[in-house]
Amino acid sequence: MRQFSLRYTLLTYRLDQLYLPAAFWALFAIICMFRMEPDHLFDMARAYLGAVVPLIGGIMAAYAILDDPALELRFAAPARAERFLLERLGLIFAIQTLCALAFQAFVLALGADLSPLGNAFGVQLAWLIPTISLMTLGCAGSLLSAQTMTGAFLTGIVWLLELLARGWLARNAGQYVLVFMGALMPDHPSLLINQITLSALAIAFLLAAWALLRYQERYI
Amino acid sequence: MIKISSLTKTYRANKRAVNALNGIDLQIGAGMFGLLGPNGAGKTTLMRILAGIVNPSSGSLRVNGHNLATEAGKQAVKSMLGYLPQELGLYPDLTAAQFVDYMAILKGIDDPRARQQSVERVIELVGLSQEAGRKIKGFSGGMKRRVGIAQALVNDPKLLIVDEPTAGLDPEERIRFRNLLVRLAAERTVILSTHIVEDIGQTCRDMAVLARGQVIFRGSPAELIQSATGHVWTLTSSNSEKPNHDLTIVSMLHLAEGIQYRLVGHSTEEYPAAENVQPGLEDGYVWLMKSSGYAVDAL
Repeated sequence: MRQFSLRYTLLTYRLDQLYLPAAFWALFAIICMFRMEPDHLFDMARAYLGAVVPLIGGIMAAYAILDDPALELRFAAPARAERFLLERLGLIFAIQTLCALAFQAFVLALGADLSPLGNAFGVQLAWLIPTISLMTLGCAGSLLSAQTMTGAFLTGIVWLLELLARGWLARNAGQYVLVFMGALMPDHPSLLINQITLSALAIAFLLAAWALLRYQERYI
Repeated sequence: MIKISSLTKTYRANKRAVNALNGIDLQIGAGMFGLLGPNGAGKTTLMRILAGIVNPSSGSLRVNGHNLATEAGKQAVKSMLGYLPQELGLYPDLTAAQFVDYMAILKGIDDPRARQQSVERVIELVGLSQEAGRKIKGFSGGMKRRVGIAQALVNDPKLLIVDEPTAGLDPEERIRFRNLLVRLAAERTVILSTHIVEDIGQTCRDMAVLARGQVIFRGSPAELIQSATGHVWTLTSSNSEKPNHDLTIVSMLHLAEGIQYRLVGHSTEEYPAAENVQPGLEDGYVWLMKSSGYAVDAL
């Protein structure tokens, strides 16, 4: 059984949630337009890719499952929980990917040099790994507490604390879970372990979200 | 056939255990089955357990031989289920046809042609053909309920569960909805959960009454009415003092000679003018609740 329709996944998605990524994309694009020096463009690019895209992804993911008016009908359908989870997170991931790629194309067209973040693959990892980490954290957090707000708050707190304490974390064991390392410290010797750890955590959060989603009675 | 044995459900609320269901035993066959009870009796919990959304704390539940305690059994039951929840949430920006189509996809109807035929059939059945292309956000409460029943029927379910379907509907919509349910019950099991006594009386030949998580009556509406024989009276009083003495006032009617009370209770010895009358289903329900020791919030 297919039990999936991209058309309806898009049609049932709350379009007002697209305003947030669109607004931040436009804001950073406008800031870039005002000062088109390569250094400034690079700073804007890594701030947007490494910090803003993951934060927005995490907040949107916190609302992905539970902010659904027909949740009880969905749960009564034979469609499996993991399909629902991947469908919703997949859409948010696709939106964030689109934003990240479009922004890279935009700053490159303005003359930015993104090579300090690494090669083309390294640039993608700089936003992709923190994005999936915070997305899965936000989603699992909202399912664990059965409240969308808690998941969004958890994402925001982790993001803020890591941003404020990034220097200290980079010098301690926190370096392995510093979500901004790929964007802000691309030459850090622990970058690879950091990326592996964050990826493992993302998988763990995703599995936790999947397990939590099976307890449907908590969410209706 | 649905077989429910020793079913319990306990919720934790503020570190306190709340028994929503307390040892339910029921067998439900084909046709229309009514589940009546006051708010908070556990009806919605039972409906959600039957729909495979809520897990029971203990006991067993089989629907057409499928054990709802297993994941495979749950999936099998959901495949044959049509469910209309009490709090019906719809996607407001979808049209009625799109919503039903989406639900058909979620229920595993993959073939587009078969799905389109099913959607058209159920949309017509609920009388929404003219409105199928309109967005749901412009619908009245009754029309939304009809979209709800259409999505419940789109997979041609063997078991249809409708939880408080007529709440908030105007009288005309309620009648239309009840008639539709009776028609649907001709070829499937329909479980109607409600606190509206009249809905059961007009549609069901088989019913149960649930109170505080327990089945306190199982039988036909006629039997429930019969149980109140000799316990229902009318009393016309010219003064404004209400009858008391452990009597429940079921209704009041202002007449030229005073107020006519319809009373349910053990005895009206204190009121020699009271006239014993034939009970109705509502009287039967009130008498059942009263004689079983459950408070009746009457006038």
